Amino acid sequence: MAFDLEQKPLRTWSHLAKNRRKPSEYDIVSKNLHYSMNNADAPWEQAPNSPMNMWYKKYRNETPLKHEDWDVFSDPDKLVYRTYNLLQDGQENHVQSLFDQFNEREHDKMLEADWVLALAQLYTPLRYVFHALQMSSTYVMQMAPASTISNCATFQAADLLRCVTHTAYRTFELSTTYPDMGFGVAERGVWEDAAHFQPMRELIEKQLASYDWSEAVVSLCYVVLPMLAEGVLKPLSEASRQGNDTLMPMLIDSQLHDSQRHQRWATELHKVLLADNESNEAVVQQIVDKWVPLADAAMDAYISAIPNSPVSANDAIAAAEKVRRDITGAA
Amino acid sequence: MAIHQRNDWYDLTRATNWTPSYVTEDELFPDEMSGSMGIPMESWEVYDEPYKTTFPEYVKVQREKDAGAYSVKAALERAKIIEKSDPGWVTILKQHYGAIALGEYAAVTGEARMSRFSKAPGNRNMAMFGMLDETRHGQIQLYFPHEYCKTDRQFDWAWKAYHQNDWASIAAKHFFDDIITGRDAISVAIMLTFGFETGFTNMQFLGLAADAADAGDYTFANLISSIQTDESRHAQQGGPALEILIANGKKEEAQLKVDMAVWRAWRLFAILTGPAMDYYTPLEHRGNSFKEFMHEWIVGQFERSLIDLGLDKPWYWDTFMEELDSTHHGYHLGVWYWRPTIWWNPAAGVTPDERAWLEEKYPGWNARWGQCWDVITENLIADKEELTLPETLPLVCNMNQLPIVGTPGEEHWDIKVHTIEKDGRLFHFSNEVDKWVFEQDPQRYEQHMSIVDRFLNGDIQPMNLQGALEYMGMEGVAELGKDAHGYAWIEKVKANMKKAS
Repeated sequence: MAFDLEQKPLRTWSHLAKNRRKPSEYDIVSKNLHYSMNNADAPWEQAPNSPMNMWYKKYRNETPLKHEDWDVFSDPDKLVYRTYNLLQDGQENHVQSLFDQFNEREHDKMLEADWVLALAQLYTPLRYVFHALQMSSTYVMQMAPASTISNCATFQAADLLRCVTHTAYRTFELSTTYPDMGFGVAERGVWEDAAHFQPMRELIEKQLASYDWSEAVVSLCYVVLPMLAEGVLKPLSEASRQGNDTLMPMLIDSQLHDSQRHQRWATELHKVLLADNESNEAVVQQIVDKWVPLADAAMDAYISAIPNSPVSANDAIAAAEKVRRDITGAA
Repeated sequence: MAIHQRNDWYDLTRATNWTPSYVTEDELFPDEMSGSMGIPMESWEVYDEPYKTTFPEYVKVQREKDAGAYSVKAALERAKIIEKSDPGWVTILKQHYGAIALGEYAAVTGEARMSRFSKAPGNRNMAMFGMLDETRHGQIQLYFPHEYCKTDRQFDWAWKAYHQNDWASIAAKHFFDDIITGRDAISVAIMLTFGFETGFTNMQFLGLAADAADAGDYTFANLISSIQTDESRHAQQGGPALEILIANGKKEEAQLKVDMAVWRAWRLFAILTGPAMDYYTPLEHRGNSFKEFMHEWIVGQFERSLIDLGLDKPWYWDTFMEELDSTHHGYHLGVWYWRPTIWWNPAAGVTPDERAWLEEKYPGWNARWGQCWDVITENLIADKEELTLPETLPLVCNMNQLPIVGTPGEEHWDIKVHTIEKDGRLFHFSNEVDKWVFEQDPQRYEQHMSIVDRFLNGDIQPMNLQGALEYMGMEGVAELGKDAHGYAWIEKVKANMKKAS
């Protein structure tokens, strides 16, 4: 490019100036912010062979999913920081109001005894699951090749911390009504040892230790999160009605709003991947094929432990598969 | 009571460590990413963040903060701050946004490093809020300057600076990548949050906010003080990590990281905040001098927090104290002289009244830097602008990537280049501390090329100033830095000379 002696001010950032339409707030504050994508030899301004540069070159730059211009990805919800807080403050006001009112009406005292036991075995240990997926999302964030993808992962991680928080709150609350049921003290043991959690723990530990970015993002967004929504939250919500637990379905409804948003950005990511490079489809499929058996086994074990589950493991497995088909646009 | 108090259930939000068995602890927390120095997971579970918040509190408080910051901006949009402010103030905005916005966004990655790889569950949650905070700071500091794009091409650098190889961009990235993005989780906790955010962000965000309010830029004053409320919360992640390291016999390692981070932060702030406070801010709007701010925020407060934790003052503290009087004056002289190579218009800040202020704040200023400005001033009075402009690149330090400066003046001349020769390559350093930092981690630093190394390697073509400017990302003449006031200050010098004669 010739050095411009008559350079005029622009109406927006130079990288957006070529677009015809006026940039939105989303575009202005989200697009094209990862400077570490500029120099393939040294993503960070350090020696090319520094440990962190080696990590990013191996796990991000050489990842099998390819795209000529990752920055074309846009969050379909166009969330920015301040709208995320607006959205979630509204949701939290709703949830806090549920907690408040259900406590007033002594909801927990009305629970069926079997269901209280089920909560200790199936619900309160989920804080480990939510937290692990929060961790996994923060990894997807830090390795993503576009800031727009990273931002989706940041908000997703925060959503999962939100679930951790709800679960911690309810765990304490249940412990006040049922002090001898292990609420608040026994969850780690259940998560580490109970048969119905072991396939899920296997999936989650192995997923967390998968550092290639393609593998991390596809296994998390196409496999593990659909498992959480279809194989954990929805079956739990359905089963809770039988135990006189009317709070749980309302709480999970609010959490599933977040799940739907996660699916929307995964769907958009898939579109962007396929539009650029046909080989991406096979890469995604290969990763999905590797992780689905572990996720299916996790759902099977978990749902088998739900007393009289209205949702069968097969239903949940099929529903998770349906989410994947929606993400990939498969018929 | 219908809603349970946070204290009742908070601990459960951070009771999230478990013993993995399908992968090993090392596979879950590889040392190169976690930096836990061989201290096992259970020892990190005592980590207790002093500032506690939860998801519902966070989104509520932050929504309110943003409502405040954005409404001040909206209300003052017609104040035409760019058109009506002194050019020295406008240059601070350009410099600040370019040097800070994408660096803050990069800090989301550093926070994510902790949020994923710290073995301390409390650290992982607080870093999640840190990720959100830094997303805020990146986004808001892109949104606010964006409306200024139409006034001046240099404002494009708010987005553009980190994508370029400008020497100032390289220096900023070299520092931030060393303490934020390019480090393991525990190093980030120590070097970014404790070493940098505990003290230095106060300088930029509170010190400068005071000057901004005085200069009438309430939008900026309000914005950066709002940012600092987040910084002061997430800066507290480093303290408990340091306590765990010290309790587990790793004081020496922890001290080393603190010492490296503080020195590196000092160098960058000496070139960024030093000239902004002591030269660019219009004299009538200056509060404290840079040195006074440094004493208040770094020397006083930071020293106390070091001692409280059981750490020592960095070994180079005396050198640091001496540099508070000198380094940023040399940097300012260099930045002004090499002004075409930067995206802001440095204000010279050397009218007779300003020189009197500098002499008062830094006794001996005239005998040192003043005599250099005398030569520049004489050349400008004699219409010899070309003698005040660069034809070559300065010698830069292989550690901080900034020009190597010393203190001029016959009685003070102390320029001395510290070097290391290794495998046929000569490395240059600003002083013995930069050299020491470099020697602590050769794998991280040695193979990095400074802008001068790149020039000498032939990476920059054509091998002249124009080639260098284009390599640095300057696409046209409107982006090149100029004297902020178009040399109007010379008239004040002339008037003074007339009065004296």
